Amino acid sequence: MADTRARLERCFAGVLPALSGAQIAQASPATVAAWDSVVSVTLFALVEEEFALEIDVLDMQGLLSFASLLKYLQEKMGETAA
Amino acid sequence: MKLIEALETLRTEPPSGARPFRVSLVCSFTPAHLQTFLQAHLARALPENRVQMTSGLYGDFWGNLARLQQENPDAGVLVMEWSDLDPRLGLRSLGNWSPNALEDILKTARSRAEQFQENIQRIARTIPLAVSFPTLPLPPVSFTPQWRASTFEQILRNEISALSLQVTQTKGVAVLNAQNLDQLSPLANRFDVKAELNSGFPYKLPHASALAALLSNLVQPPPPKKGLITDLDDTVWSGILGEVGVEGVNWDLEHHSHMHAVYQKMLHALSDAGVLLAAASKNDANFAEEALRRADMILPRSVVFPVEANWGPKSDSIRKILNTWNIGGDAVVFVDDSPMELAEVKAAHPQVTCLLFPKEDPQAISELLHRLRDLFGKSALSEEDAIRRDSILKAQYQNREIAPHGEVSEEFLKTADAEITLNFAKEPLDPRALELVNKTNQFNLNGRRYTEKEWQDFVRDANTILLVVSYKDKYGPLGKIAVLAGRLEEHTLVVDVWVMSCRAFSRRIEHRCLEELFARFDLEKVILNFVVSPKNGPTQEFIAEILGNKLTQPCLISRTLFASKRRETFQQVLELANG
Repeated sequence: MADTRARLERCFAGVLPALSGAQIAQASPATVAAWDSVVSVTLFALVEEEFALEIDVLDMQGLLSFASLLKYLQEKMGETAA
Repeated sequence: MKLIEALETLRTEPPSGARPFRVSLVCSFTPAHLQTFLQAHLARALPENRVQMTSGLYGDFWGNLARLQQENPDAGVLVMEWSDLDPRLGLRSLGNWSPNALEDILKTARSRAEQFQENIQRIARTIPLAVSFPTLPLPPVSFTPQWRASTFEQILRNEISALSLQVTQTKGVAVLNAQNLDQLSPLANRFDVKAELNSGFPYKLPHASALAALLSNLVQPPPPKKGLITDLDDTVWSGILGEVGVEGVNWDLEHHSHMHAVYQKMLHALSDAGVLLAAASKNDANFAEEALRRADMILPRSVVFPVEANWGPKSDSIRKILNTWNIGGDAVVFVDDSPMELAEVKAAHPQVTCLLFPKEDPQAISELLHRLRDLFGKSALSEEDAIRRDSILKAQYQNREIAPHGEVSEEFLKTADAEITLNFAKEPLDPRALELVNKTNQFNLNGRRYTEKEWQDFVRDANTILLVVSYKDKYGPLGKIAVLAGRLEEHTLVVDVWVMSCRAFSRRIEHRCLEELFARFDLEKVILNFVVSPKNGPTQEFIAEILGNKLTQPCLISRTLFASKRRETFQQVLELANG
């Protein structure tokens, strides 16, 4: 579980390098001014590459935050969300 | 490279004062991850530069191409896809795929191909370009089943093929080799339909990564290696000389050792392209010589020099060969079938590229040959490549001292019938000049490297003077061996670039160059923008000789000082053209 979180944090740090660890945990378009459509596209590509999965386009709109993405990934990986 | 690695590479700050290297990416799709990968690859290839990338407007390939010239970047990267020839060849357009529309699609594609060709001819005169033609599978436009080639598709591919040929032959343009991309990125795994519809980016990440890596190589090609040192037993031939004798070693189908013959063929081809070849073998020297002279060898004995066959460590043989060639280990590849020997050489010469000859695996040998092509590959062959190789090979017969650092006798210089040719012409731009500037280490004023665009801009500046020096003597030509460039400010010449090939050392050519410049431009002084580097020892020695062991950066040489310190020269001077 910790591994999934760390890997997701690395994805966020890759696309939003200015954020601290604490800011990443709270990150969403509402809390990060720099989060635009390019960030979303890059973030989903990073997550798909890192976790070797495909995210359904219809799911993407609901995954625009660190918390929602982490929950989604933990479910996909068969982990129980904390 | 994975996307996360690319992003992390881009977060690494280049050194302070890094010069910008501006690249314009021209495509009609959202550049997204292709731009990220390309920028990351270029940042790795150009660690001394700050790579800056721009891309144009979505869906406007032709407008972006037109704007490229106004942006005047250091390099342009053009990535064309089928939909740029006609939008109906993409998924986003809902234009007609009816059989009666095919002829019109071909007509549009032909017209676009002509437009592309015209643009390339114009832009490439001032901006170096890297071009990739469509990499994605064609959509199912034609009425034929997929397994059957349609006339429509064949004509379309023919258009691209003809266009690619024309563009490949255009000076200043490098075209991506589709076969290489096919090897790295299978066709079926390239197109990302979801991403294309969702964000306008049509590539799957591995394809974007592979394409970007190759485009980066086109923009900033890795410097080609200059020399190859090969083992003999179980490498050039199959078998151990000491065990099976000269007649026992083999390289043929009958003994299942044919790939050794193919390796020999490759070495011969590399030699003919100007690559230096030598052998390092743990063997009896006479035996090795006898085997190398076998009449059925594919690799001629005459192109291998030197041959170091002895029982000492291979690293010692490599050292002797490097001294004879007078080139650095970073320009050399060593091939051996023994991992232990490779490790021993690598430990002593970490800069040498050490490659295993996989004697038991024909497939792996084939891959090795491809690797050698990449390591020694050049965009074009120059006369100097052959001259350099020939001058080394001749030396073995003339028993002539090659090592350049040693002082050559006055008598040798007087009787060499040397002739130097000074060429001050700036146009047409001689690619050999930039090649020398970017690969010379030892006699190099300051180690500054130039991109093609930076060099063009520098040389074409009205205040810049450019001098390209060629040399020959009774032992043969050395070709173009020195480049000097600087700015003339009344009676002062400020020299920004001065390099000389190590093959031309010890002939006092550097003295002759300064002598000619003082006279030709009536100079009072020359200011050398000299910077000490770990590699430019011979330059430091020359400057210390003139200045009396005081190395100053930059350094000033007055007419009086030079007159009192210059060494006597014996070359006849010819002048080719005025700048």
